[in-house]
Amino acid sequence: MGVLKDFFNLLKGMTITGKHLGRRAVTIQYPEQKMQMFERSRGVVVLLSDKETGDLNCTMCMLCMRACPTAAIYIDAPRDENKKRVLKEFKVDHALCCYCGLCEEACNFSAIKLANKYEFSTWDIDDLVWDVNKLQDVGRDVPYVDTRKKKPAAKAAAKPAEKKADDKKSAADGAKPSAEENKQSEGDKPSEPKATDTAAADKTAPAKDEKAVDSSPDETPESDETRRSADDDTKKGDA
Amino acid sequence: MELYPVFMWLHDLLESTGIGEPWSTIISYGFLAVTVFGTLSILALFLVWWERKIAGHIQQRFGPMRTGWHGWYQTIMDAVKLLQKEDIRIATRDKAVFFWAPVVCFVAAYLAYVVIPFGENLIVADLNVGILYIIAVTTFTVISLLMAGWGSNNKYALLGGMRSAAQVVSYEVPMAVSILTVIVFAGSLSMVDIANAQQGNIIFNWFIFKPPFGIIAFLTYITAATAEANRTPFDIPEAEQELVAGYNVEYSGMKFAMFFLAEFVNLFTVSAIAVTLFFGGWHGPLLPSWIWFLLKTFAVILLLMLFRWTFPRLRVDQLMEFAWKFLVPLTFANLILAGWFKYAGWHW
Ligand code: SF4
Ligand code: SF4
Repeated sequence: MGVLKDFFNLLKGMTITGKHLGRRAVTIQYPEQKMQMFERSRGVVVLLSDKETGDLNCTMCMLCMRACPTAAIYIDAPRDENKKRVLKEFKVDHALCCYCGLCEEACNFSAIKLANKYEFSTWDIDDLVWDVNKLQDVGRDVPYVDTRKKKPAAKAAAKPAEKKADDKKSAADGAKPSAEENKQSEGDKPSEPKATDTAAADKTAPAKDEKAVDSSPDETPESDETRRSADDDTKKGDA
Repeated sequence: MELYPVFMWLHDLLESTGIGEPWSTIISYGFLAVTVFGTLSILALFLVWWERKIAGHIQQRFGPMRTGWHGWYQTIMDAVKLLQKEDIRIATRDKAVFFWAPVVCFVAAYLAYVVIPFGENLIVADLNVGILYIIAVTTFTVISLLMAGWGSNNKYALLGGMRSAAQVVSYEVPMAVSILTVIVFAGSLSMVDIANAQQGNIIFNWFIFKPPFGIIAFLTYITAATAEANRTPFDIPEAEQELVAGYNVEYSGMKFAMFFLAEFVNLFTVSAIAVTLFFGGWHGPLLPSWIWFLLKTFAVILLLMLFRWTFPRLRVDQLMEFAWKFLVPLTFANLILAGWFKYAGWHW
Protein backbone atom coordinates (compact mmCIF):
# COMPACT_ATOMS: atom_id res chain seq x y z
CA MET A 1 0.00 0.00 0.00
CA GLY A 2 3.04 2.20 -0.30
CA VAL A 3 1.65 3.55 -3.53
CA LEU A 4 -1.55 4.72 -1.90
CA LYS A 5 0.42 6.38 0.87
CA ASP A 6 2.61 8.18 -1.65
CA PHE A 7 -0.45 9.22 -3.57
CA PHE A 8 -1.99 10.54 -0.39
CA ASN A 9 1.17 12.50 0.32
CA LEU A 10 1.07 14.06 -3.11
CA LEU A 11 -2.53 15.10 -2.49
CA LYS A 12 -1.50 16.58 0.82
CA GLY A 13 1.17 18.66 -0.89
CA MET A 14 -1.34 19.88 -3.41
CA THR A 15 -3.78 20.83 -0.67
CA ILE A 16 -1.10 23.00 0.87
CA THR A 17 -0.24 24.77 -2.37
CA GLY A 18 -3.94 25.06 -3.13
CA LYS A 19 -4.50 26.77 0.20
CA HIS A 20 -1.70 29.19 -0.48
CA LEU A 21 -3.23 29.90 -3.86
CA GLY A 22 -6.32 31.17 -2.10
CA ARG A 23 -4.48 33.41 0.31
CA ARG A 24 -3.77 37.06 -0.19
CA ALA A 25 -0.41 37.93 -1.63
CA VAL A 26 1.90 39.63 0.81
CA THR A 27 3.62 41.70 -1.84
CA ILE A 28 3.62 45.43 -1.29
CA GLN A 29 3.06 47.24 -4.56
CA TYR A 30 5.71 49.77 -3.88
CA PRO A 31 4.95 53.10 -5.51
CA GLU A 32 1.23 52.76 -4.77
CA GLN A 33 1.46 51.06 -1.41
CA LYS A 34 4.18 51.83 1.01
CA MET A 35 5.52 49.84 3.83
CA GLN A 36 5.02 51.43 7.23
CA MET A 37 8.40 50.98 8.83
CA PHE A 38 8.67 50.32 12.53
CA GLU A 39 9.32 53.39 14.54
CA ARG A 40 12.69 52.16 15.69
CA SER A 41 13.89 51.32 12.20
CA ARG A 42 16.96 53.27 11.24
CA GLY A 43 16.34 55.27 8.12
CA VAL A 44 17.17 58.83 7.24
CA VAL A 45 18.98 60.99 9.82
CA VAL A 46 16.91 64.00 10.90
CA LEU A 47 17.11 66.81 13.39
CA LEU A 48 14.27 67.04 15.86
CA SER A 49 12.47 70.19 16.84
CA ASP A 50 10.89 71.10 20.13
CA LYS A 51 7.31 69.96 20.28
CA GLU A 52 5.99 73.31 21.49
CA THR A 53 8.28 76.01 20.22
CA GLY A 54 9.35 74.33 17.00
CA ASP A 55 12.99 75.25 17.48
CA LEU A 56 15.77 72.78 17.01
CA ASN A 57 16.58 70.75 20.09
CA CYS A 58 20.23 70.81 19.19
CA THR A 59 22.57 72.58 21.57
CA MET A 60 25.54 72.33 19.24
CA CYS A 61 27.54 70.20 21.63
CA MET A 62 29.13 68.33 18.72
CA LEU A 63 28.90 64.98 20.46
CA CYS A 64 27.20 63.44 17.50
CA MET A 65 29.87 64.71 15.15
CA ARG A 66 32.50 63.02 17.26
CA ALA A 67 30.52 59.83 17.64
CA CYS A 68 29.95 59.44 13.94
CA PRO A 69 32.25 56.68 12.64
CA THR A 70 32.00 57.76 9.03
CA ALA A 71 32.29 61.51 9.54
CA ALA A 72 28.95 61.99 7.92
CA ILE A 73 28.01 64.83 10.24
CA TYR A 74 29.56 68.23 9.90
CA ILE A 75 28.72 70.99 12.37
CA ASP A 76 29.96 74.51 12.32
CA ALA A 77 28.87 76.60 15.31
CA PRO A 78 31.21 79.39 16.30
CA ARG A 79 30.69 81.25 19.57
CA ASP A 80 29.32 84.75 19.43
CA GLU A 81 30.39 87.65 21.61
CA ASN A 82 28.41 86.26 24.59
CA LYS A 83 30.28 82.99 24.28
CA LYS A 84 27.11 81.40 23.09
CA ARG A 85 27.25 79.01 20.19
CA VAL A 86 25.41 80.02 17.06
CA LEU A 87 24.56 77.30 14.56
CA LYS A 88 26.06 78.14 11.22
CA GLU A 89 26.04 74.85 9.51
CA PHE A 90 24.79 71.38 10.27
CA LYS A 91 25.19 68.89 7.46
CA VAL A 92 24.56 65.21 7.27
CA ASP A 93 25.92 63.39 4.26
CA HIS A 94 23.58 60.48 3.76
CA ALA A 95 25.91 59.00 1.23
CA LEU A 96 28.53 58.58 3.93
CA CYS A 97 26.18 57.66 6.72
CA CYS A 98 26.07 53.97 7.57
CA TYR A 99 22.88 54.28 9.62
CA CYS A 100 24.56 52.98 12.74
CA GLY A 101 22.60 55.22 15.06
CA LEU A 102 25.61 56.24 17.11
CA CYS A 103 24.78 59.92 16.71
CA GLU A 104 21.34 59.35 18.16
CA GLU A 105 22.94 57.45 21.00
CA ALA A 106 25.46 60.18 21.69
CA CYS A 107 23.00 63.04 21.77
CA ASN A 108 21.82 64.00 25.23
CA PHE A 109 19.16 66.38 24.04
CA SER A 110 16.83 64.34 21.84
CA ALA A 111 18.03 66.39 18.94
CA ILE A 112 19.10 63.89 16.33
CA LYS A 113 17.33 60.71 15.34
CA LEU A 114 17.25 58.08 12.67
CA ALA A 115 13.69 58.38 11.46
CA ASN A 116 11.67 55.54 9.96
CA LYS A 117 11.64 57.14 6.53
CA TYR A 118 13.40 55.44 3.69
CA GLU A 119 12.54 57.32 0.53
CA PHE A 120 15.36 59.76 0.00
CA SER A 121 17.17 58.51 -3.06
CA THR A 122 18.25 61.15 -5.55
CA TRP A 123 19.66 61.39 -9.04
CA ASP A 124 22.71 63.23 -7.83
CA ILE A 125 24.88 62.04 -4.98
CA ASP A 126 25.47 65.61 -3.87
CA ASP A 127 21.79 65.94 -3.11
CA LEU A 128 22.26 63.42 -0.34
CA VAL A 129 24.09 66.03 1.73
CA TRP A 130 21.31 67.62 3.71
CA ASP A 131 21.65 70.97 5.37
CA VAL A 132 20.05 72.00 8.62
CA ASN A 133 16.81 73.24 7.06
CA LYS A 134 16.17 70.04 5.24
CA LEU A 135 17.13 67.95 8.23
CA GLN A 136 14.71 69.92 10.36
CA ASP A 137 11.90 69.88 7.82
CA VAL A 138 12.04 66.14 7.36
CA GLY A 139 12.29 65.66 11.10
CA ARG A 140 9.24 67.73 11.96
CA ASP A 141 6.66 64.98 11.93
CA VAL A 142 8.95 62.33 13.35
CA PRO A 143 7.60 61.14 16.67
CA TYR A 144 10.14 61.04 19.44
CA VAL A 145 10.40 60.96 23.19
CA ASP A 146 11.65 64.19 24.65
CA THR A 147 14.09 63.23 27.37
CA ARG A 148 15.37 66.71 28.04
CA LYS A 149 14.89 68.34 31.40
CA LYS A 150 12.31 71.02 30.82
CA LYS A 151 13.44 74.04 32.74
CA PRO A 152 10.30 76.19 32.79
CA ALA A 153 7.93 73.39 33.73
CA ALA A 154 9.63 71.79 36.72
CA LYS A 155 11.95 74.60 37.61
CA ALA A 156 10.72 75.73 41.01
CA ALA A 157 10.13 72.36 42.57
CA ALA A 158 13.09 70.58 41.11
CA LYS A 159 15.69 73.23 41.79
CA PRO A 160 17.43 71.61 44.76
CA ALA A 161 17.15 68.24 43.16
CA GLU A 162 18.73 69.49 40.03
CA LYS A 163 21.74 70.65 41.92
CA LYS A 164 21.97 67.27 43.51
CA ALA A 165 21.54 65.59 40.19
CA ASP A 166 24.43 67.57 38.83
CA ASP A 167 26.58 66.44 41.72
CA LYS A 168 25.61 62.91 41.25
CA LYS A 169 26.09 63.15 37.54
CA SER A 170 29.68 64.15 37.89
CA ALA A 171 30.20 61.10 40.04
CA ALA A 172 28.33 58.65 37.92
CA ASP A 173 28.61 60.20 34.52
CA GLY A 174 30.39 57.50 32.60
CA ALA A 175 29.35 54.92 35.14
CA LYS A 176 27.02 52.77 33.15
CA PRO A 177 26.39 50.31 36.03
CA SER A 178 24.17 52.85 37.77
CA ALA A 179 22.08 53.17 34.65
CA GLU A 180 21.91 49.44 34.39
CA GLU A 181 20.89 49.13 37.99
CA ASN A 182 18.15 51.66 37.59
CA LYS A 183 16.94 49.88 34.52
CA GLN A 184 16.68 46.64 36.40
CA SER A 185 14.90 48.14 39.31
CA GLU A 186 12.56 49.83 36.89
CA GLY A 187 11.76 46.48 35.39
CA ASP A 188 10.82 45.16 38.80
CA LYS A 189 8.59 47.96 40.01
CA PRO A 190 8.19 50.79 37.59
CA SER A 191 5.90 53.05 39.61
CA GLU A 192 7.39 52.89 43.08
CA PRO A 193 9.90 55.48 44.12
CA LYS A 194 13.43 54.16 44.24
CA ALA A 195 14.64 52.79 47.56
CA THR A 196 18.09 54.14 46.84
CA ASP A 197 16.79 57.68 46.61
CA THR A 198 17.96 60.17 49.19
CA ALA A 199 15.87 62.39 51.45
CA ALA A 200 16.22 65.23 49.00
CA ALA A 201 14.71 63.09 46.33
CA ASP A 202 11.85 62.24 48.66
CA LYS A 203 11.11 65.88 49.11
CA THR A 204 10.82 66.41 45.39
CA ALA A 205 8.93 63.23 44.74
CA PRO A 206 5.68 64.93 43.66
CA ALA A 207 7.55 67.05 41.15
CA LYS A 208 9.30 64.03 39.87
CA ASP A 209 6.04 62.23 39.34
CA GLU A 210 4.66 65.15 37.49
CA LYS A 211 7.65 65.12 35.24
CA ALA A 212 7.36 61.41 34.69
CA VAL A 213 3.86 61.93 33.43
CA ASP A 214 4.59 64.66 30.94
CA SER A 215 7.97 63.60 29.68
CA SER A 216 7.86 59.86 29.51
CA PRO A 217 4.88 58.54 27.59
CA ASP A 218 6.94 55.51 26.72
CA GLU A 219 6.32 53.54 29.89
CA THR A 220 4.18 51.12 27.94
CA PRO A 221 5.61 47.64 27.40
CA GLU A 222 5.68 48.01 23.59
CA SER A 223 7.93 51.03 23.84
CA ASP A 224 10.58 50.68 21.24
CA GLU A 225 12.95 53.14 22.77
CA THR A 226 14.34 51.01 25.55
CA ARG A 227 17.57 52.89 25.60
CA ARG A 228 15.83 56.18 25.92
CA SER A 229 13.55 55.01 28.67
CA ALA A 230 16.56 53.74 30.56
CA ASP A 231 18.15 57.17 30.20
CA ASP A 232 14.93 58.75 31.23
CA ASP A 233 14.79 56.64 34.29
CA THR A 234 18.36 57.39 35.17
CA LYS A 235 17.62 61.06 35.15
CA LYS A 236 14.45 60.55 37.09
CA GLY A 237 16.29 58.55 39.68
CA ASP A 238 18.88 61.25 39.88
CA ALA A 239 16.34 63.98 40.28
CA MET B 1 -20.03 18.05 -38.06
CA GLU B 2 -16.82 19.97 -38.19
CA LEU B 3 -16.03 23.48 -39.17
CA TYR B 4 -17.17 22.17 -42.48
CA PRO B 5 -20.19 24.47 -42.95
CA VAL B 6 -17.94 27.49 -42.64
CA PHE B 7 -15.52 25.90 -45.00
CA MET B 8 -18.23 25.14 -47.53
CA TRP B 9 -19.66 28.62 -47.27
CA LEU B 10 -16.28 30.18 -47.88
CA HIS B 11 -15.59 27.74 -50.67
CA ASP B 12 -18.88 28.61 -52.41
CA LEU B 13 -18.23 32.30 -51.95
CA LEU B 14 -14.85 31.98 -53.62
CA GLU B 15 -16.32 29.86 -56.40
CA SER B 16 -18.92 32.53 -57.12
CA THR B 17 -16.16 35.13 -57.54
CA GLY B 18 -14.77 32.98 -60.31
CA ILE B 19 -11.51 31.63 -58.86
CA GLY B 20 -10.61 28.21 -60.16
CA GLU B 21 -11.16 24.99 -58.20
CA PRO B 22 -7.76 24.31 -56.60
CA TRP B 23 -7.44 27.89 -55.34
CA SER B 24 -10.82 28.18 -53.69
CA THR B 25 -10.14 25.00 -51.70
CA ILE B 26 -6.65 26.09 -50.75
CA ILE B 27 -7.80 29.54 -49.64
CA SER B 28 -10.70 28.26 -47.58
CA TYR B 29 -8.51 25.67 -45.89
CA GLY B 30 -5.94 28.38 -45.29
CA PHE B 31 -8.66 30.42 -43.61
CA LEU B 32 -9.47 27.55 -41.30
CA ALA B 33 -5.83 27.02 -40.47
CA VAL B 34 -5.33 30.67 -39.64
CA THR B 35 -8.43 30.67 -37.43
CA VAL B 36 -7.27 27.69 -35.41
CA PHE B 37 -3.72 28.96 -35.30
CA GLY B 38 -4.77 32.41 -34.12
CA THR B 39 -7.05 31.03 -31.42
CA LEU B 40 -4.35 28.75 -30.12
CA SER B 41 -1.68 31.42 -30.15
CA ILE B 42 -3.90 33.65 -28.05
CA LEU B 43 -4.64 30.74 -25.75
CA ALA B 44 -0.94 30.00 -25.40
CA LEU B 45 -0.18 33.62 -24.55
CA PHE B 46 -2.99 33.57 -22.02
CA LEU B 47 -1.68 30.36 -20.51
CA VAL B 48 1.79 31.84 -20.03
CA TRP B 49 0.24 34.76 -18.19
CA TRP B 50 -2.03 32.49 -16.17
CA GLU B 51 0.80 30.21 -15.19
CA ARG B 52 2.82 33.16 -13.94
CA LYS B 53 -0.15 34.37 -11.96
CA ILE B 54 -0.78 30.96 -10.43
CA ALA B 55 2.90 30.55 -9.64
CA GLY B 56 2.91 33.94 -8.01
CA HIS B 57 -0.16 33.40 -5.92
CA ILE B 58 0.96 29.97 -4.77
CA GLN B 59 4.05 31.70 -3.45
CA GLN B 60 1.91 34.57 -2.17
CA ARG B 61 3.25 36.97 -4.72
CA PHE B 62 1.18 38.67 -7.41
CA GLY B 63 2.98 37.68 -10.58
CA PRO B 64 2.88 40.23 -13.39
CA MET B 65 1.13 43.37 -12.24
CA ARG B 66 2.54 46.29 -14.17
CA THR B 67 1.31 45.90 -17.74
CA GLY B 68 -2.37 46.62 -17.68
CA TRP B 69 -4.89 45.35 -15.18
CA HIS B 70 -3.05 42.64 -13.23
CA GLY B 71 -0.53 42.56 -16.04
CA TRP B 72 -2.96 41.11 -18.56
CA TYR B 73 -0.92 41.98 -21.64
CA GLN B 74 2.42 41.07 -20.13
CA THR B 75 2.94 38.07 -22.40
CA ILE B 76 1.88 40.01 -25.48
CA MET B 77 4.57 42.50 -24.64
CA ASP B 78 7.01 39.67 -24.03
CA ALA B 79 6.23 38.25 -27.46
CA VAL B 80 6.74 41.68 -29.04
CA LYS B 81 10.02 42.00 -27.21
CA LEU B 82 11.18 38.58 -28.37
CA LEU B 83 10.26 39.46 -31.95
CA GLN B 84 12.54 42.46 -31.81
CA LYS B 85 15.45 40.54 -30.34
CA GLU B 86 18.44 39.60 -32.36
CA ASP B 87 18.35 36.06 -33.64
CA ILE B 88 21.72 34.83 -32.44
CA ARG B 89 23.09 32.02 -34.57
CA ILE B 90 26.15 30.45 -33.07
CA ALA B 91 28.96 29.71 -35.51
CA THR B 92 29.31 26.04 -34.66
CA ARG B 93 25.68 25.16 -35.21
CA ASP B 94 24.40 22.59 -37.64
CA LYS B 95 22.68 25.09 -39.91
CA ALA B 96 19.71 23.22 -41.28
CA VAL B 97 18.94 21.28 -38.12
CA PHE B 98 19.26 24.36 -35.95
CA PHE B 99 16.88 26.28 -38.19
CA TRP B 100 14.21 23.63 -38.55
CA ALA B 101 14.03 22.46 -34.94
CA PRO B 102 11.77 25.25 -33.65
CA VAL B 103 9.65 25.04 -36.76
CA VAL B 104 9.07 21.32 -36.32
CA CYS B 105 8.32 21.84 -32.63
CA PHE B 106 5.83 24.59 -33.35
CA VAL B 107 4.08 22.78 -36.16
CA ALA B 108 3.93 19.51 -34.23
CA ALA B 109 2.32 21.30 -31.33
CA TYR B 110 -0.39 22.73 -33.54
CA LEU B 111 -0.96 19.62 -35.66
CA ALA B 112 -2.94 17.90 -32.95
CA TYR B 113 -5.67 20.52 -33.24
CA VAL B 114 -6.89 19.05 -36.50
CA VAL B 115 -8.86 16.49 -34.53
CA ILE B 116 -9.55 18.11 -31.18
CA PRO B 117 -13.21 19.04 -30.86
CA PHE B 118 -13.56 22.47 -29.24
CA GLY B 119 -17.29 22.14 -29.15
CA GLU B 120 -20.19 20.72 -31.01
CA ASN B 121 -19.28 20.95 -34.73
CA LEU B 122 -16.16 22.90 -33.81
CA ILE B 123 -13.59 20.52 -35.16
CA VAL B 124 -11.40 20.91 -38.20
CA ALA B 125 -11.67 17.31 -39.33
CA ASP B 126 -13.28 14.38 -37.55
CA LEU B 127 -10.79 11.72 -38.52
CA ASN B 128 -11.89 8.20 -37.72
CA VAL B 129 -8.42 7.54 -36.27
CA GLY B 130 -8.41 10.81 -34.34
CA ILE B 131 -6.71 9.82 -31.13
CA LEU B 132 -4.18 7.67 -32.92
CA TYR B 133 -3.37 10.66 -35.11
CA ILE B 134 -2.76 12.79 -32.03
CA ILE B 135 -0.42 10.23 -30.50
CA ALA B 136 1.44 10.09 -33.80
CA VAL B 137 1.90 13.81 -34.40
CA THR B 138 2.73 14.81 -30.85
CA THR B 139 5.72 12.47 -31.07
CA PHE B 140 7.22 14.93 -33.54
CA THR B 141 7.99 17.09 -30.55
CA VAL B 142 10.67 14.59 -29.51
CA ILE B 143 12.33 14.86 -32.87
CA SER B 144 12.33 18.63 -32.67
CA LEU B 145 13.86 18.65 -29.20
CA LEU B 146 16.51 16.21 -30.30
CA MET B 147 17.14 18.36 -33.38
CA ALA B 148 17.48 21.45 -31.25
CA GLY B 149 19.91 19.68 -28.95
CA TRP B 150 21.98 18.34 -31.79
CA GLY B 151 21.92 21.45 -33.93
CA SER B 152 23.01 23.72 -31.09
CA ASN B 153 26.32 21.90 -30.76
CA ASN B 154 26.27 22.54 -27.04
CA LYS B 155 26.67 19.94 -24.34
CA TYR B 156 23.78 21.21 -22.24
CA ALA B 157 21.47 21.38 -25.20
CA LEU B 158 22.46 17.93 -26.38
CA LEU B 159 22.00 16.46 -22.92
CA GLY B 160 18.61 18.11 -22.72
CA GLY B 161 17.64 16.76 -26.11
CA MET B 162 18.77 13.24 -25.26
CA ARG B 163 16.99 13.26 -21.95
CA SER B 164 13.85 14.55 -23.52
CA ALA B 165 13.96 11.83 -26.15
CA ALA B 166 14.41 9.19 -23.49
CA GLN B 167 11.66 10.66 -21.38
CA VAL B 168 9.06 11.21 -24.05
CA VAL B 169 9.61 7.80 -25.60
CA SER B 170 9.25 6.16 -22.19
CA TYR B 171 6.11 8.01 -21.25
CA GLU B 172 4.54 7.59 -24.65
CA VAL B 173 3.92 3.95 -23.74
CA PRO B 174 1.84 4.42 -20.57
CA MET B 175 0.08 7.36 -22.17
CA ALA B 176 -0.95 5.40 -25.23
CA VAL B 177 -2.04 2.46 -23.11
CA SER B 178 -4.14 4.66 -20.84
CA ILE B 179 -5.77 6.14 -23.91
CA LEU B 180 -6.41 2.63 -25.18
CA THR B 181 -8.38 1.92 -22.03
CA VAL B 182 -10.71 4.74 -22.97
CA ILE B 183 -10.96 3.43 -26.49
CA VAL B 184 -12.07 0.13 -24.99
CA PHE B 185 -14.88 1.99 -23.22
CA ALA B 186 -15.90 4.04 -26.23
CA GLY B 187 -15.29 1.52 -28.99
CA SER B 188 -14.02 4.20 -31.34
CA LEU B 189 -10.85 6.11 -32.15
CA SER B 190 -12.70 9.22 -33.30
CA MET B 191 -12.54 12.09 -30.82
CA VAL B 192 -16.13 13.04 -31.57
CA ASP B 193 -17.39 9.53 -30.96
CA ILE B 194 -15.44 9.32 -27.71
CA ALA B 195 -16.98 12.55 -26.49
CA ASN B 196 -20.45 11.51 -27.60
CA ALA B 197 -20.13 8.21 -25.76
CA GLN B 198 -19.98 10.15 -22.49
CA GLN B 199 -23.15 12.10 -23.12
CA GLY B 200 -26.09 12.23 -20.70
CA ASN B 201 -26.70 11.12 -17.11
CA ILE B 202 -25.36 14.43 -15.80
CA ILE B 203 -21.69 13.63 -15.28
CA PHE B 204 -21.80 9.96 -14.42
CA ASN B 205 -21.30 8.83 -17.98
CA TRP B 206 -17.87 10.42 -18.04
CA PHE B 207 -15.21 7.81 -18.48
CA ILE B 208 -13.40 8.92 -15.36
CA PHE B 209 -16.41 7.60 -13.41
CA LYS B 210 -16.03 4.08 -14.68
CA PRO B 211 -14.53 2.56 -11.58
CA PRO B 212 -11.89 1.48 -11.15
CA PHE B 213 -10.45 1.55 -14.63
CA GLY B 214 -11.51 5.06 -15.57
CA ILE B 215 -9.90 6.72 -12.60
CA ILE B 216 -6.71 4.67 -12.90
CA ALA B 217 -6.51 5.44 -16.60
CA PHE B 218 -6.99 9.11 -15.88
CA LEU B 219 -4.30 9.21 -13.21
CA THR B 220 -1.79 7.37 -15.35
CA TYR B 221 -2.72 9.49 -18.34
CA ILE B 222 -2.29 12.77 -16.47
CA THR B 223 1.07 11.60 -15.10
CA ALA B 224 2.31 10.58 -18.51
CA ALA B 225 0.89 13.74 -20.03
CA THR B 226 2.81 15.89 -17.56
CA ALA B 227 5.93 14.10 -18.68
CA GLU B 228 4.96 14.50 -22.32
CA ALA B 229 4.50 18.21 -21.91
CA ASN B 230 7.90 18.40 -20.21
CA ARG B 231 6.49 19.96 -17.12
CA THR B 232 7.63 19.68 -13.54
CA PRO B 233 7.95 17.16 -11.87
CA PHE B 234 9.13 15.70 -15.15
CA ASP B 235 10.99 18.66 -16.60
CA ILE B 236 14.19 16.68 -16.98
CA PRO B 237 14.90 18.05 -20.49
CA GLU B 238 14.97 21.59 -19.18
CA ALA B 239 16.26 21.06 -15.67
CA GLU B 240 17.33 24.63 -15.06
CA GLN B 241 19.46 23.56 -12.15
CA GLU B 242 21.60 21.21 -14.18
CA LEU B 243 21.26 22.05 -17.84
CA VAL B 244 20.83 25.81 -17.82
CA ALA B 245 17.74 25.58 -20.00
CA GLY B 246 18.24 22.27 -21.73
CA TYR B 247 17.59 21.91 -25.43
CA ASN B 248 16.72 25.56 -26.08
CA VAL B 249 19.75 27.10 -24.41
CA GLU B 250 21.24 28.40 -27.66
CA TYR B 251 18.02 29.79 -29.02
CA SER B 252 17.07 33.41 -28.79
CA GLY B 253 14.49 35.79 -30.11
CA MET B 254 11.55 34.38 -32.01
CA LYS B 255 13.00 30.89 -32.23
CA PHE B 256 13.01 30.67 -28.49
CA ALA B 257 9.50 32.07 -28.42
CA MET B 258 8.42 29.29 -30.75
CA PHE B 259 9.71 26.66 -28.34
CA PHE B 260 8.15 28.45 -25.45
CA LEU B 261 4.75 28.86 -27.05
CA ALA B 262 4.84 25.29 -28.32
CA GLU B 263 5.31 24.15 -24.76
CA PHE B 264 2.15 25.91 -23.68
CA VAL B 265 0.25 24.74 -26.72
CA ASN B 266 1.28 21.22 -25.72
CA LEU B 267 -0.02 21.89 -22.24
CA PHE B 268 -3.35 22.87 -23.71
CA THR B 269 -3.30 19.84 -26.00
CA VAL B 270 -2.82 17.27 -23.24
CA SER B 271 -5.51 18.96 -21.16
CA ALA B 272 -7.91 19.07 -24.09
CA ILE B 273 -7.31 15.40 -24.74
CA ALA B 274 -7.88 14.62 -21.07
CA VAL B 275 -11.16 16.51 -21.20
CA THR B 276 -12.31 14.73 -24.35
CA LEU B 277 -11.31 11.31 -23.08
CA PHE B 278 -12.32 11.48 -19.44
CA PHE B 279 -14.55 14.47 -18.77
CA GLY B 280 -17.15 14.24 -21.46
CA GLY B 281 -15.60 16.64 -23.94
CA TRP B 282 -17.80 19.59 -24.80
CA HIS B 283 -20.97 18.10 -23.29
CA GLY B 284 -22.65 20.12 -20.59
CA PRO B 285 -25.96 21.79 -19.86
CA LEU B 286 -27.10 25.34 -20.62
CA LEU B 287 -23.86 26.99 -21.69
CA PRO B 288 -22.62 26.73 -25.28
CA SER B 289 -20.53 23.65 -25.90
CA TRP B 290 -17.25 25.46 -26.52
CA ILE B 291 -17.52 27.26 -23.18
CA TRP B 292 -17.93 23.93 -21.43
CA PHE B 293 -14.95 22.61 -23.26
CA LEU B 294 -12.78 25.56 -22.31
CA LEU B 295 -13.95 25.50 -18.69
CA LYS B 296 -13.11 21.84 -18.31
CA THR B 297 -9.80 22.24 -20.09
CA PHE B 298 -8.79 25.13 -17.87
CA ALA B 299 -9.67 23.06 -14.83
CA VAL B 300 -7.30 20.33 -15.99
CA ILE B 301 -4.64 22.93 -16.79
CA LEU B 302 -5.03 24.30 -13.29
CA LEU B 303 -4.39 20.81 -11.97
CA LEU B 304 -1.23 20.54 -14.07
CA MET B 305 -0.09 23.95 -12.85
CA LEU B 306 -0.66 22.87 -9.26
CA PHE B 307 1.51 19.84 -10.00
CA ARG B 308 4.19 22.07 -11.32
CA TRP B 309 4.31 24.38 -8.34
CA THR B 310 3.95 21.65 -5.76
CA PHE B 311 6.13 18.71 -6.65
CA PRO B 312 9.90 18.55 -6.68
CA ARG B 313 11.62 17.30 -9.78
CA LEU B 314 12.52 13.65 -10.27
CA ARG B 315 16.01 12.41 -10.99
CA VAL B 316 16.64 10.89 -14.40
CA ASP B 317 16.92 7.34 -13.11
CA GLN B 318 13.83 7.77 -10.92
CA LEU B 319 11.98 9.04 -13.94
CA MET B 320 12.81 5.98 -16.00
CA GLU B 321 12.14 3.65 -13.11
CA PHE B 322 8.78 5.24 -12.51
CA ALA B 323 7.78 4.92 -16.15
CA TRP B 324 8.90 1.37 -16.82
CA LYS B 325 8.54 -0.30 -13.46
CA PHE B 326 5.37 1.31 -12.27
CA LEU B 327 3.32 3.09 -14.91
CA VAL B 328 3.70 0.61 -17.74
CA PRO B 329 2.69 -2.49 -15.73
CA LEU B 330 -0.15 -0.61 -14.09
CA THR B 331 -1.57 0.70 -17.33
CA PHE B 332 -1.26 -2.66 -19.02
CA ALA B 333 -3.01 -4.43 -16.16
CA ASN B 334 -5.68 -1.75 -16.25
CA LEU B 335 -6.16 -2.13 -19.98
CA ILE B 336 -6.35 -5.92 -19.88
CA LEU B 337 -8.81 -5.95 -17.00
CA ALA B 338 -10.94 -3.26 -18.62
CA GLY B 339 -10.97 -5.22 -21.86
CA TRP B 340 -11.94 -8.36 -19.99
CA PHE B 341 -14.78 -6.63 -18.19
CA LYS B 342 -15.97 -5.13 -21.42
CA TYR B 343 -15.80 -8.48 -23.18
CA ALA B 344 -17.61 -10.23 -20.38
CA GLY B 345 -20.20 -7.46 -20.35
CA TRP B 346 -19.90 -6.82 -16.62
CA HIS B 347 -21.34 -3.56 -15.42
CA TRP B 348 -21.24 -1.78 -18.75
S1 SF4 C 1 22.46 66.81 17.56
FE1 SF4 C 1 22.70 66.35 19.73
S2 SF4 C 1 24.81 65.59 19.89
FE2 SF4 C 1 24.64 66.62 17.90
S3 SF4 C 1 25.31 68.69 18.30
FE3 SF4 C 1 23.12 68.70 18.51
S4 SF4 C 1 22.75 68.37 20.67
FE4 SF4 C 1 24.90 67.81 20.31
S1 SF4 D 1 23.88 57.10 11.87
FE1 SF4 D 1 26.05 56.68 12.26
S2 SF4 D 1 27.05 57.15 10.30
FE2 SF4 D 1 25.02 58.08 10.19
S3 SF4 D 1 25.31 60.16 10.88
FE3 SF4 D 1 24.74 58.98 12.71
S4 SF4 D 1 26.66 58.35 13.61
FE4 SF4 D 1 27.13 59.02 11.53
